[in-house]
Amino acid sequence: MGFGKYVGARVLWAVVVSLIITTITFLLLAAAPNPAIREAATQAALQGGDPSAAVERERELRGLNQPLYVRYMDFIKSVYTLDWGWSESRSQPVTEAMLQALYYTAQYSIPWTVLTITLGPLVGVYSAANMYSWRDHVATGFAFFGYAIPNFFFGIILLLIFGVWFEVVPISYDTSAPVFSLQNVRQLILPVFVLVTGSIGATMRVSRNESAEFQNSEFMKTAKAKGVSPLRAYAYHVMRPTMVPLSTTLVGQLLALFIGSSLLVEVVFGIPGLGRLTFNALISQDTNLILGSTLVFTFIAVVGNLLEDLVFTVLDPRINYDDR
Amino acid sequence: MATEKPEQFDRVDWSELSQSGRFDLSINSIGMLVATLPLALLWLYDSQFVGEREATFQAIGLSRNLDPLDYFFIFTLFLFFFYLILPLYQNPRMTRYYWKEFRRNRPAVVSLGWLGIVFVGGLLGPLVVSAPEQSILTGHQPPVFLSIDEANVATCVGDVVNGRCQGTWQHPLGTTRGGKDVFAGIVYGMTISMQIAFITTTIVAAIGITFGTVSAYAGGWIDEVMMRFVDIILSFPTFLMFLLILYIYGAGLGMFILVFSAFAWGGTARYVRSKALSVSEEEFIKATRISGASTYRVVRKHVVPNVASSIITQLTLLIPGFLLAEAQLAFLGIGDSAVPSWGQLISAGRSDLAFAPWIVLAPGIVLFLTILAFNFIGDALLDALNPEAEAENA
Amino acid sequence: MSTPLLEVEGLRTTFSTDNGELTAVDGIDFSVNEGETVCIVGESGSGKTVATESVTRIIKEPPGRVEGSVRFKGRDLLAMSEPELRTIRGYEIAHIFQNPQEAMNHCYTVGWQIVEAIQIHRDISDEEARAKAIDLMDKVGIANASSRFDDYPHEFSGGQKQRVMIAMALVGDPDLLIADEPTTALDVTVQAQILRLLEELQEEFDMGILFVTHDLGVVAEIADRIVVMYAGKVMERGDVLDIFERPAHPYTQRLLNCLPEIGARKGGIPGTLPDPIDPPDGCRFAPRCEHAVDACVTGDQPEEIEVNPGQRASCVHYRPGRDDSVVRDGIPNASADEEGVSSADD
Repeated sequence: MGFGKYVGARVLWAVVVSLIITTITFLLLAAAPNPAIREAATQAALQGGDPSAAVERERELRGLNQPLYVRYMDFIKSVYTLDWGWSESRSQPVTEAMLQALYYTAQYSIPWTVLTITLGPLVGVYSAANMYSWRDHVATGFAFFGYAIPNFFFGIILLLIFGVWFEVVPISYDTSAPVFSLQNVRQLILPVFVLVTGSIGATMRVSRNESAEFQNSEFMKTAKAKGVSPLRAYAYHVMRPTMVPLSTTLVGQLLALFIGSSLLVEVVFGIPGLGRLTFNALISQDTNLILGSTLVFTFIAVVGNLLEDLVFTVLDPRINYDDR
Repeated sequence: MATEKPEQFDRVDWSELSQSGRFDLSINSIGMLVATLPLALLWLYDSQFVGEREATFQAIGLSRNLDPLDYFFIFTLFLFFFYLILPLYQNPRMTRYYWKEFRRNRPAVVSLGWLGIVFVGGLLGPLVVSAPEQSILTGHQPPVFLSIDEANVATCVGDVVNGRCQGTWQHPLGTTRGGKDVFAGIVYGMTISMQIAFITTTIVAAIGITFGTVSAYAGGWIDEVMMRFVDIILSFPTFLMFLLILYIYGAGLGMFILVFSAFAWGGTARYVRSKALSVSEEEFIKATRISGASTYRVVRKHVVPNVASSIITQLTLLIPGFLLAEAQLAFLGIGDSAVPSWGQLISAGRSDLAFAPWIVLAPGIVLFLTILAFNFIGDALLDALNPEAEAENA
Repeated sequence: MSTPLLEVEGLRTTFSTDNGELTAVDGIDFSVNEGETVCIVGESGSGKTVATESVTRIIKEPPGRVEGSVRFKGRDLLAMSEPELRTIRGYEIAHIFQNPQEAMNHCYTVGWQIVEAIQIHRDISDEEARAKAIDLMDKVGIANASSRFDDYPHEFSGGQKQRVMIAMALVGDPDLLIADEPTTALDVTVQAQILRLLEELQEEFDMGILFVTHDLGVVAEIADRIVVMYAGKVMERGDVLDIFERPAHPYTQRLLNCLPEIGARKGGIPGTLPDPIDPPDGCRFAPRCEHAVDACVTGDQPEEIEVNPGQRASCVHYRPGRDDSVVRDGIPNASADEEGVSSADD
């Protein structure tokens, strides 16, 4: 099928999957006991009132006494109209809450992504060029270290050392700092550092292994016989082919890390980003917000997978998207 | 699972014992059954005849209790032994080759040693080391060779020198705020980690392999549907799901394991399916035409051994993810504080980090080392078991 | 006689491996004059490829190490620095290799890769380089060169890919072309075309060609002179006609014997190559030679002795004072026009 049709079909599938997953989330939430309601029941009991009546009242207030499918239809409709409802816990529309949180998340996730994408492959190729030498071992050592150390653990240790003992970075995040100020840089440097050390390890290893294969390839010999300098050979003849298998891993890695790492980093450093938002929503069982977040995260993940596949076919001229 | 019909098959297999690379399932299965039977009986006894609050071994005077998770854990240990360790003995040539390749990777060998310690510590530790007990008075004790400001402790187990409470060998890694011994906590944490590792991996392998092979052999629209299903599983924002489910539905260790396994088998299923497809292209057709052997037989004899080494590598690399996830969730406050996992220890010690860093550092470093170890080993396995996947070719 | 284009003396190339030091090329000499084609012949493992790669030092050093003297147009290539060598590689001395499938980078168009070869050595504009590249592609026989310029390697057939490689090699009007089994991976008919092409280009560009092969049929077609290598040493050298008509060294004789001929029974050569890390004393071929005597297994490889004018063999039987009839009139040889089948596989 044509490229356009293929992309169209995959995007459609992405939407379908996101909906399915969000539906499952919806069902999970619906089946769960709602603490606010239990709270109301307890209150009523303590005050000598009738708990079950209180429960009924609360449910009615929240629209929870309607049959499931009605609620579900409402939900689907709201997704389409991008009216994702009202966030109970934040007292603002869900979309507004998420955009606000995104603003803070972007401030650390953009530098994080840029650094990983540029440094990772470079260090990997460098390591492959000096394979098995001490340089390689040091680089690989760092990679393994960064990859293995739990981000939250690393974060709190660094915060202890640099925030409490040396006092070079603030220990809590100040949202009033302007985005492009030195103050903002100081408070973001540790979270970005922790995140980068975590993700660079994986990308570096992959690019090391993939580029090693290309370094010993026939066309590298041809390049050398043509008189190509080693630097140019690495830049053009190793990096470029390496990007093909690397791209698939890169996208996958970054996405996978995004949700887990960012939440924990936000908690440790006190950044009010998307991760924290979702977590707090969970704690207070703010259904609309949870569903909104789930939808967004899932859609990003699925689209990310799609991008991964497509990028692969674009980067390798030998592959026809038909072969996928 | 007892196979009655292939009595003769078993005998035929026996003579093929010398072939390397094949899992000789006959004697292993027998051993597995022999070991599982008493375990099953014990479990039956425990669930039916021993009271809820009584310990399993109360009858013989031990206060050791086994919960369902422990039973399953022991079952997975048997599986591990009979289907992974024993075949290594049965195929010495293959084992020697793999070991030689593996040994080249020194960090991996060290990691194997470390994991061995964790494994033994997790299995036998609780028998030797007593469970960490609450003891508020002796909270915040420093590890041996370190000291803490006297003001931070209620009583000091060691001597007080210059206003600082000294550590003792009684609590070699110090105590938590609640006075629980950190060293004991780490040992008991080893058990938890081992349980997570073994049980989750077994479930993931079981579901993944079954799903993958069934999908491959069913073919057609069943295959399509199944693979779309796998797509969905793989698209779940897993950590989010963990948070959601565990927060709302309770977070005991069993739930953790259940939830982890539910979302982790997708990759394995996909891989097994593609391998099964490529094998079935040749073997299946030949087998059905010539010997009339059942598909099941073909799968077991051909697909599984080929796939086994890659899956082992893949699974080894999954385990650190589970351990990390458990720790992360514990840190966030989701999880059972009664479960003495490393994550719980770190979480408990966070607030006292400034003056009693060992509470966080000790389990944190142990967790880090274990994750590192699994990664090294997985990497080395990749080189040793899958030379095709190796990047550095001669 | 003017100085040879390429003069190699005492070339020795070793590699350090886990099992010891491997000597791939153990002190050989050869030369190539302007406009002539010299074929290095031998089975796999004879060291012929390593020898040619040592000339321009495209061997990975370390673990490799090249010693000896390699004089190209009077200059010693082994004494040059890497940057100097890079000006010569791909320009004055060009290589083409055996495997056209793998020899090009699959991520770039064919045109891009030829232009790269041009622009490394000459500071000319993209348009000029493109024009030159298309011109070369045309010369090597690629139809519709200007539109094929933007195609990727995988869109070409094996033979066409090899033509592109040749075009890439010609960007600098090279004086020496080193061709390492360029036709081995191709169909027989395509093989003939490529050989024809090389001969034409040799005339047009006035190149010397150092051609490596194990296929005696190819040798018969294009060689002026032959150097026969075995296990890192030279066994025999000489004019192509001389060697084909009267091969002097037992190894050459057996090689020629492997060529199929109607009505005659042919055989392979029993035995295997010696260990390159710890080779035996004496003549390298002795363990497989039916004429081996005690003198063959002592000391070093026998010195080369002139058997005919211009033809030399490294064999003890040709030493003065010995009876060489044992080997001189050895196995009957094949005629030079016959199509060859290689004597040994990879």
